[in-house]
Amino acid sequence: MTCLICGNPYQSMATWTKIFLYELDSSTCIRCLEKFEISQSTIDFTDFLGTPYEGAVDSVYCLYTYNEAMREYLHQYKFLQDVALAKVFARKLQQAFHTKEGIVVPIPMHPEKLVLRTFAQVDELLNAAQISYQQLLIKTKSETQGKKSKKERLKTTNLFETIQTIEATNYILFDDIYTTGATIHHAAKILKDAGAKRVDAITLIKG
Amino acid sequence: MNEQLQQFLTGRIWLREHTPFPREVIDAHIDSGHIHLKPGITTYSKSNLFWQSNKRVCNRCHNMKPSLFQTFNCARCNKVCTYCRHCIRMGRVSSCSQLLLWDKQHARGANVHVFAWSGQFTAPQQKASEELLSSVEQNQSHLVHAVCGAGKTELLFPAIFASLQAGKRVCVAAPRTDVILELFPRFQKVFPNTAIHALYGSAPDQHGFAELVLATTHQLYRFEQAFDVVFVDEADAFPYHADETLQKAVTKAAKQNAAIHYVTATPTESLKTTNRSILTRRYHGHDLPVPRFDSLWGYARQLNKGKIPHKLQKWINEKIDSKTPFLIFLPTIEVLENFPGDLPRVHAEHPDRKELVLQLREKKIPGLLTTTILERGVTIENVHVAIVGAEQPIFTSSALIQISGRVGRSAQYPNGDIVFFHHGISREMDKAQDAIEGWNRS
Ligand SMILES: [Zn+2]
Ligand SMILES: [Zn+2]
Ligand SMILES: [Zn+2]
Repeated sequence: MTCLICGNPYQSMATWTKIFLYELDSSTCIRCLEKFEISQSTIDFTDFLGTPYEGAVDSVYCLYTYNEAMREYLHQYKFLQDVALAKVFARKLQQAFHTKEGIVVPIPMHPEKLVLRTFAQVDELLNAAQISYQQLLIKTKSETQGKKSKKERLKTTNLFETIQTIEATNYILFDDIYTTGATIHHAAKILKDAGAKRVDAITLIKG
Repeated sequence: MNEQLQQFLTGRIWLREHTPFPREVIDAHIDSGHIHLKPGITTYSKSNLFWQSNKRVCNRCHNMKPSLFQTFNCARCNKVCTYCRHCIRMGRVSSCSQLLLWDKQHARGANVHVFAWSGQFTAPQQKASEELLSSVEQNQSHLVHAVCGAGKTELLFPAIFASLQAGKRVCVAAPRTDVILELFPRFQKVFPNTAIHALYGSAPDQHGFAELVLATTHQLYRFEQAFDVVFVDEADAFPYHADETLQKAVTKAAKQNAAIHYVTATPTESLKTTNRSILTRRYHGHDLPVPRFDSLWGYARQLNKGKIPHKLQKWINEKIDSKTPFLIFLPTIEVLENFPGDLPRVHAEHPDRKELVLQLREKKIPGLLTTTILERGVTIENVHVAIVGAEQPIFTSSALIQISGRVGRSAQYPNGDIVFFHHGISREMDKAQDAIEGWNRS
């Protein structure tokens, strides 16, 4: 196999484990994978206490920290638009979603931004991990989150809208990175207001 | 016609969305026929009775390897789209990308070139330089085979100056960025009136039309039919020699029928040229230091256990005690990273590579562990060199010759220790030693 990140040949995992565990093909060598750092931090929601978003999210689970290897990965995946790299975390994401029950909802991109990027980076991570999902939200505002302060982000109302009926069941939001938590809280509140029973969130990275 | 656009695009093949001109300007020049468009990726369907297969080619880097193409649902063209992963660092080329080529009269330089070099050639340098100049004037490909430290860059100066004066566009290409960075200030001094661009991975934007282009071979993916004269320095270096697309890039960047010239210490057999010059002496006239072989049985096991083999430790201690700067070449990044002790170390992905080499040169650190990344281009006065695991396949005879070539480069310290520590002598080790001894005899 050739590693998607470094391009060097490497030995894939023994095939018997694949047969029994129905695991996805690996795409990345051990050396490259080991450079990503598993996130140990627990997310607290104290920032949202006393705001309309209190209690919107029931739990957040982030897989990795934002270290140098992850910075480079995101650069190549998002900025250089190397869609192939969606496969790098396929196994890990599959394992992560196994532990939770609910309808998976990816955080959407604004349609204009999607055309520029040419692919939805969050959806493609799920596609690569063969996780089925429903696009229940659309993004209504196009301005970038990065340039705003935390307060401004929370104030912005209606970042998203639902495009289908929401049932009284469990939902799992998925996004690439959890930074201030504003995006996830906005999306969760929309789902809860529309009748969702429980909203958990998984993100690839804790920013 | 927009002159700046003409200067920018002359000889280039450029991704439309990376072209620093307004959309309307580009559109107008497409309509008027000044710009020719090529799709990013071309797919050829081959079918016979039993199957149909698609062969793809990237029109920028000419990659054709199926594993380096990725197909996805594209939100820009709303089709199943394919892009090239091979040259993605220069901006993604996909099926729905447009590549721009200048299709009319090429831009020309307007400078009166000046040759400001006051150096002196040794007799053998003079001869090789004249031979190269004559080949360049007759447009016949030429190989300069010069030992490490022969002063081969200077040999190019007269041929480059003659070409520039004849109104030709010249390219000096080398596989590694370090080499381009080293050449740029030297060329700026020697050709002070010439517009020179230095192109490499993270190079700043450079404007106008360059009569002389110094570029990594990678950057030549973005040229087509651009140069009248091309020199390839260190033509045997990784990754040029191993990557067919880089070799095609050089041919593609040269104008049709333009001869390509090569300069190297270790030519590969596949390098075929009409003429050739050989330079077996260093510029300072001293013999090349000959590598000695020293057994280091079971070094891999000992290093694995976190122990530096006794002989190697002794060698290191001697260098530290005598304040002699040293380089230790190791076969893999793993061995490098797990090497016991706290000697500083560099490899290809190491961000502080240049800084550490500088520190060694200034004697702020006693020595440096390295992979083959430092096999060429670095000059450190009075450096001594050890290779650990010289029998391993990564150390080809040409790598071993290049590494040995780090020693004794300055006229003040023409000698120095070069030792191949090994677990069994390989044929490549013998070949390297024979070649160096042969040059010294001739
Ligand atoms: Zn890898
Ligand atoms: Zn390409
Ligand atoms: Zn497309």
